[in-house]
Order: sequence, then structure tokens, then C-alpha cells
Amino acid sequence: MSEHEHVSLADTSLVLSTLEHDQLVSAKREPIPRRRLRGWQLALVWTLRVYLVFMLAVVFWQAWTAVR
Amino acid sequence: MAADDDVVVTHEDIDRAHDRARVSAARLGRGLRARTWLLWLLIGPGILVMLGENDGPSMLSYAATGAKFGIGFFLPFVVLTFGMALVVQEMTVRLGAATHRGHAELIFERFGPFWGWFSMIDLGIGNFLTLITEFIAIRAGLGFFGVPPWAAVLVALAVLFSALLSHRYWTWERVTLAAAAFNLIFIPVALMAHPHWGAVGHAFFTWKPLPGFNRDTVLIILSDIGATVTPWMLFFQQSATVDKGLTTKDIHFGRIDTVLGAGLAAAAALGAIVATAPLFGRMSADNFQAAQFAQALVPLIGRFGAALFALGMVEAGIVAAITISTSSAYAFGEVTQRPHSLNLPMTEGKSFYAVLGLCAVAAAGIVVIPGLPLVFVVLVVNVVAVLAMPPALVFLYLLVNDKEIMEGVPSPGWMNALAAAVVVLLTAAGVLYGVSVVAPNLFAWLGRL
Repeated sequence: MSEHEHVSLADTSLVLSTLEHDQLVSAKREPIPRRRLRGWQLALVWTLRVYLVFMLAVVFWQAWTAVR
Repeated sequence: MAADDDVVVTHEDIDRAHDRARVSAARLGRGLRARTWLLWLLIGPGILVMLGENDGPSMLSYAATGAKFGIGFFLPFVVLTFGMALVVQEMTVRLGAATHRGHAELIFERFGPFWGWFSMIDLGIGNFLTLITEFIAIRAGLGFFGVPPWAAVLVALAVLFSALLSHRYWTWERVTLAAAAFNLIFIPVALMAHPHWGAVGHAFFTWKPLPGFNRDTVLIILSDIGATVTPWMLFFQQSATVDKGLTTKDIHFGRIDTVLGAGLAAAAALGAIVATAPLFGRMSADNFQAAQFAQALVPLIGRFGAALFALGMVEAGIVAAITISTSSAYAFGEVTQRPHSLNLPMTEGKSFYAVLGLCAVAAAGIVVIPGLPLVFVVLVVNVVAVLAMPPALVFLYLLVNDKEIMEGVPSPGWMNALAAAVVVLLTAAGVLYGVSVVAPNLFAWLGRL
């Protein structure tokens, strides 16, 4: 079945013979199952998040001071 | 085919299938000519992302490096930063080819919206600030020829929208690649500066002369790293790999594409440093915005050479404006589950093209508002990119080692070790910068050691 009436049989056939199933737009609508982060992974992403927020504050403070 | 009745075919699928049919036909050929044709068909995202990252602020950063430090430590250092970019960008090729999903989509679906939105906020802020600086570079470059700011940004927007007119990924990619090739203009400009080749060779072999250990050096180091590795590159190359339709069979060519891109971009970056090295000791490059490099180069390389330099800045800004706004549009489509492809006709990809256009128009509009402290943006953009990289790289690392989604394409141990080294290096550079700002006395003491 095609989403649009003007998609020809030849086009449909080309798509099915050329693209991998996972490449089809319809297949990409299927969600990928969630995974849980392990303890060390969670600790790492949180640490880097805190690092980023702190460092951004430093950068903006320095740039603001320089501009003023 | 029994399953055919359940398959929904879209225009996007058809356009991608036509591109893939050409690749399949090229695979049947034998000999050097056939392989070269296949390579031509499969290159694109890697070269675009690397030359796209040689953007306005990046080229200004390289120009400031040459003017402030001359030929020395920073020549091999910049090559090293492209090595780092190569390591992480290769991972996005494998991830995109194996999963056929964009980076933002994978983070949202595998790790949930909490971490997904954090990544999106990092990307959104970084992309918008960078886009503003692209239009600043375009305005400054065309300003050399007397073009008023409003006309400069209109020219840039016209090029950006022209590339989208075909509604075909392939055409967009080739048009943008052609524009990106002009990034190499910095190489003849460097030759016009008559560099001392002995000093260039000495710098590559010895990494000397070393710069002094002070805040200026740390800022330039961070700026040059941010000129080469940034979060938008991860999102863009993976999304472009998916949109182009690369599969696991194409990963080898995806790697060649990325290596080619890194090589070309490194050559252009080195060209900018060498071109401005004659300014060493002759001008202050403390303020990137105010440093009128092209004007300053006129007495050294002539009006023609300086004009090429200015054109290089314009090109750098335009190509990056195209790729960065596309990266934002891909990410928006991926997280909102709306159609997101350059193969979409306007009627089916309204939100994709709207986000792409709005980002570019808003950034361009800000640049022409008189009196805004835009120097603030230029100062922070590369540094922000470096700081945002470690969190982005950890998600990339986790995804590329996720056996459930990377079936059959495992990440080699040595590649993981290199990626971990890049995270450590980037974090260390960020911490060093933080110490130089928060505790300048401690930093000065470290410099005396």
C-alpha cells in the first residue's frame, strides 16, 4: 500500500527492492525500546551535566565582564 | 512479497531508493573507475561536516592563532584536533548506518526524554549562537567589498534557500559540497604570504616554538578545539548519513568520506594560520570581532590576496549556516516525530523547512540589529562548544557500544579508548580554562612551574 495515490507500482517496487526495511519511513515510526543507564553511567552523565552548567556560568561571567 | 501490503511508501522513500539504486548499480562495477564512481556517490556527510565546521568563528580563531602566535605549536595542535574530530565523527557514521536513526532520536528513545531534552537544549543554544556568528562572519567578509550588512545577510539567506529548492538530499548535498570547496581558498592565500617552509616543517616535527602558559594561550587552545569538535557535528553527520541512506555496507566509504573531509578542512585551517602568521607581532588579535584580518593583510599579500581571504570568510559562514540550520531542523523533526528529510517536498516537510528557515532568518536578523553586543557571542561560541562536547560524547559512546541497536557493527576497543581519551582531553581543557578564570593567581603560579 502506498501513502499517496500517485506513488506508482514501479516506485513501490524500487523502494522495496533497494532500501533495507529499517530505512523505510514507516519502519522508523516504530519506537526503539528504552534502556536503563547503569549506576556508573548515570553518575558520569550527571557529573558532566554539573560540570557543563558550572563552566557555562564561568564563560558567560567572563565574557560579560570583557564586554562591559 | 507478502509483506508489501503492510508497507507504506512515501516520496522520501522513493527519492532515497533512486539514490540507493545508483549505489547498487555502481557496486556491480569493477576496477578503479567503478570504485571512484562509487566513492563519488557515497561521499558527502563527512566532507560537509568537516568543511562546515571550518566556519566563521573557526576561521577567525585560526586567523587569530596565526596573528598572535605565528608558526609553531599550533600547527601540529590543529592537526591533532582534527584527529579528535575524526575519531568521534566516524562513530556517528557507524551509528547512522547501523540504526538508520538520527542522533537526537536515538538519545530520546534509548535514554528517555529527560536526557533527550538536556541534549536538545545544549544543541539548540549552541547551534543558535553559532548561527549568529556565521552571519557576523558573512557580514564582515562582504563588508570588505563595501556590501552593507543587510545586503550581506540577504545574499547568505538567498544561497541557503536556493540549496533547498530541489527538495532532494542529493542535489542539496552536491550544491553545498560545491560551496564548501571554496573553503580551500585559504591555501592559495597562505602561499601568497610566502611562508618560511623551514619554520613550518620545524613546527610540525618539534611542536615549537611553544606558546607561553597564560590565559591567552588557554583561550586560543579552547577556541581552536571548539573550531574543530562541536556537538552539532555529531547530530548533523548522523542525520545526514541516515538521510543519504547509507547502510552498514557503506561504512568503509563513510570513513573515507570523513577522513577526506578532515584532511581538506585541516589544510584550510592550516592555510588560515599560515596566511595570518606574517601579522605576528604587528597587530593585536585579542578581540576576534574587531580584528580586521583581511584589511590588515593588504600590505602583506596585496589587495587580491586579502579579497580572497575575505571571500573565504563569507564562504565559511554560508556553508556553516546551511549545515547548522539543517542540523537543528533534523533534530527538531527527530524529537517531535515529524517528517525530517531533505528529500521531502515542501507540502510534506513544512515543519522541517520552517525550523530550518526560521533559525537562519532569526540569526540573520539579530546580526543586522544595530547596537547589540555581538562580540559577546563571538567570544563565547567556540568555548561553549568545547564545554558541551564531553556530555554529548558520553551519549555517543554509550550508543555506539549498545549491542541491541548496533547489531553486527561492534565498536573496536581501540576506537573506544581513543573516544575516552578525547573526552578526558576536552574535559581537562575545560577545567584548565575554568581555573584560569576563577583562580587566576593559582593559574599564574602553575605557569611559573
